[in-house]
Amino acid sequence: MTRRIPGLPWVAPALLVLAALSLYPLLYLIKVSLTGAHGFTFDHYIRLFHDRLFVVAAAQTLLYAAVALTLEFFLGLALALLVDSLARGRALIRVSLLAPMLLPPVVAAVIWRLIYNPEFGALNGLLRQLGFHTASLTWTSGRSTALLSVILVDVWEWTPFLFLLLTAGLQAIPAEPLEAARVDGASYWQTLRDVILPEMKPAIMLALLLRSMDLLRIFDQIFLLTQGGPGSATETVSLYIYRTAFRFSNFGYAAAMSFVGLVITMLAARGLMRLIRVS
Amino acid sequence: MLAATTPVTTSSVLIHFLFVPILLMVLSFLLLAGCSHPGSDKTLTIAVNAGVEGSALKAAAAEWGQQHNTRIEVVELPYANLFEKESLDLQSRTGAYDVIMLDDPWFPKLVADGGLAQIPRPPDADFLPSCLAVCRHAEKFYALPYVGNSQLFFYRKDLFEKYKLGMPDRWEKVRDAAKTIGAGEKMFGYVMRAAPGNSAVTDFMPLLWAFGGDIFDAQGKPNLASPEAIDALRLMVELGKSSPPGYAGFNAAEVSAQLLQGTAAMSINWPAWIAAMDDPSKSKVPGMIEFAPMPAARVPGVAELGAWLLAVPVSSPHRDAAFDFIYWATEAAPMTEAALRGNPPTRRSVFQSSDLVKKFRAFPAQLASLAGARPRPRTAQWNEIENAFGVSLSQANSGALSPEAAMQQANREIAAILERSK
Repeated sequence: MTRRIPGLPWVAPALLVLAALSLYPLLYLIKVSLTGAHGFTFDHYIRLFHDRLFVVAAAQTLLYAAVALTLEFFLGLALALLVDSLARGRALIRVSLLAPMLLPPVVAAVIWRLIYNPEFGALNGLLRQLGFHTASLTWTSGRSTALLSVILVDVWEWTPFLFLLLTAGLQAIPAEPLEAARVDGASYWQTLRDVILPEMKPAIMLALLLRSMDLLRIFDQIFLLTQGGPGSATETVSLYIYRTAFRFSNFGYAAAMSFVGLVITMLAARGLMRLIRVS
Repeated sequence: MLAATTPVTTSSVLIHFLFVPILLMVLSFLLLAGCSHPGSDKTLTIAVNAGVEGSALKAAAAEWGQQHNTRIEVVELPYANLFEKESLDLQSRTGAYDVIMLDDPWFPKLVADGGLAQIPRPPDADFLPSCLAVCRHAEKFYALPYVGNSQLFFYRKDLFEKYKLGMPDRWEKVRDAAKTIGAGEKMFGYVMRAAPGNSAVTDFMPLLWAFGGDIFDAQGKPNLASPEAIDALRLMVELGKSSPPGYAGFNAAEVSAQLLQGTAAMSINWPAWIAAMDDPSKSKVPGMIEFAPMPAARVPGVAELGAWLLAVPVSSPHRDAAFDFIYWATEAAPMTEAALRGNPPTRRSVFQSSDLVKKFRAFPAQLASLAGARPRPRTAQWNEIENAFGVSLSQANSGALSPEAAMQQANREIAAILERSK
């Protein structure tokens, strides 16, 4: 056995820890999701397809993740390129840009609750000073603005994370292809499109992978900013799972939703990882 | 390289790698286990709500602990987390708490799970019947009422006098007064909490009852698609037009802030906020807010009960001491002390104490409201029902659904919840 897999003894402790911390809870989760009041059942999974709140929450989670990821990626990339092109003060600007990410989510949510307050908040105050009519701008309480408002908080807090990873990818590009492009007389946009972005592809994919997994399980900001409201306008899957498990004490259904959410996240991650390998 | 010089087997590596971590884990567990029960015979662990209700109980527990030479450990949790911690403890019988403080709508669920110990002696007749009713299950008592919360109607007396509006004793008058004051004073005539879940439901229930509606009919079936319920929601949405923008996301703190800032003239609120309304350091309009019973509509107005109860989990390791404590904490003298700290009592004698009535001008109104207050439906599925109902109410208030569609949606979803629970 040790001859056929010589590294096994060395990785065995890590495998055991992994099995204890990841595999056992996952198997237990599946068991709970298949257990009803009268024993084994698929009812929790069947209910998923008829549950209006779950369908709404799943659709909103995907929309939230797609919009936030797109905005955070393009803003993070633009900032990384901009800061990298500066001749002086790059270190200071990098540290300053990371500040929102370093704040605990609770603090960030409290700050934004105050900013978004329709009457006393800084945002409407600023807009009023600029001459805008703000009576109908209720941000987190408006059914058409609530989701966008919480997405903007996410963008504010997590764009620095994308910026950090993309900056690392940018700095890992060897100097030779960039010099060759300059010697060949390539414009900035040509260099960006044909040299920088292809070279950054692994970093980009890694950044998108990590952030998308995080976005698909978004909970804290929404819980603190809107509690899923108004109505169910900002309800997400994680929030609904939390409520189902800990407010309604329905652990079987919460486990079924968690397992389905895990499968969706794993499929999304696998798709992105395949792209990384191809790149 | 290592394999060539030293014979390595799987078992030897496992022992080598696992011995130290396992030893450390065992030692850590022993240490933690030792820390969690220092002098366990003399420690009473109490779970309380973080807020004025919990503060008074903490002070009472400290006093009782000194008198009985017992160490008191208070676990203070915010409202949103208190239920889940208590529910998990009661279901898994961990014995983490000796005494728990619980909101009355949680009682049916916790008692149905078999987690609460029966009270050894029935409570005396000085407790208000409305408060005792929510401590009873199958004719037996499993809790004692500690805080007698019931809603009151808060309104700006000075503005009602200025515009000669009379008393806000009917919801139609409230609606008209909100418009008059809103137009005349350039302020919001009314403010309510309509965030999804508990907030929206809490502010809607007095309207629903005043219109003669209820969540369930006499057979226990959902009854929210009734004309009474739809009319009540129509009035709620209409009152929303006199409320500040964004009220569909408001909770208690935002509503009270509007009253304290003098930017809104009326609201439904809880007695815990009365002291702040009269405190010049917190209110811009101290002494101008009056407290009245719930307005009527088609039937007399009824307030919602929100009592806090004290109970002992069956898994409590110190059950006798825990019962001694909750009986003591709900006696008249400690309850008077708690009232002085801001907790509305549950005993008639404490409400009628002349010293307290002099100190708290709203006590007569609170007693009248509490005596006739109605609890939320006594069902173990209440949290789920309240969530579904609250989402529909919030959708109607944010304009996403019409009152008819919102009530029909709530009715369907509550019926599905009840069906699943069978």
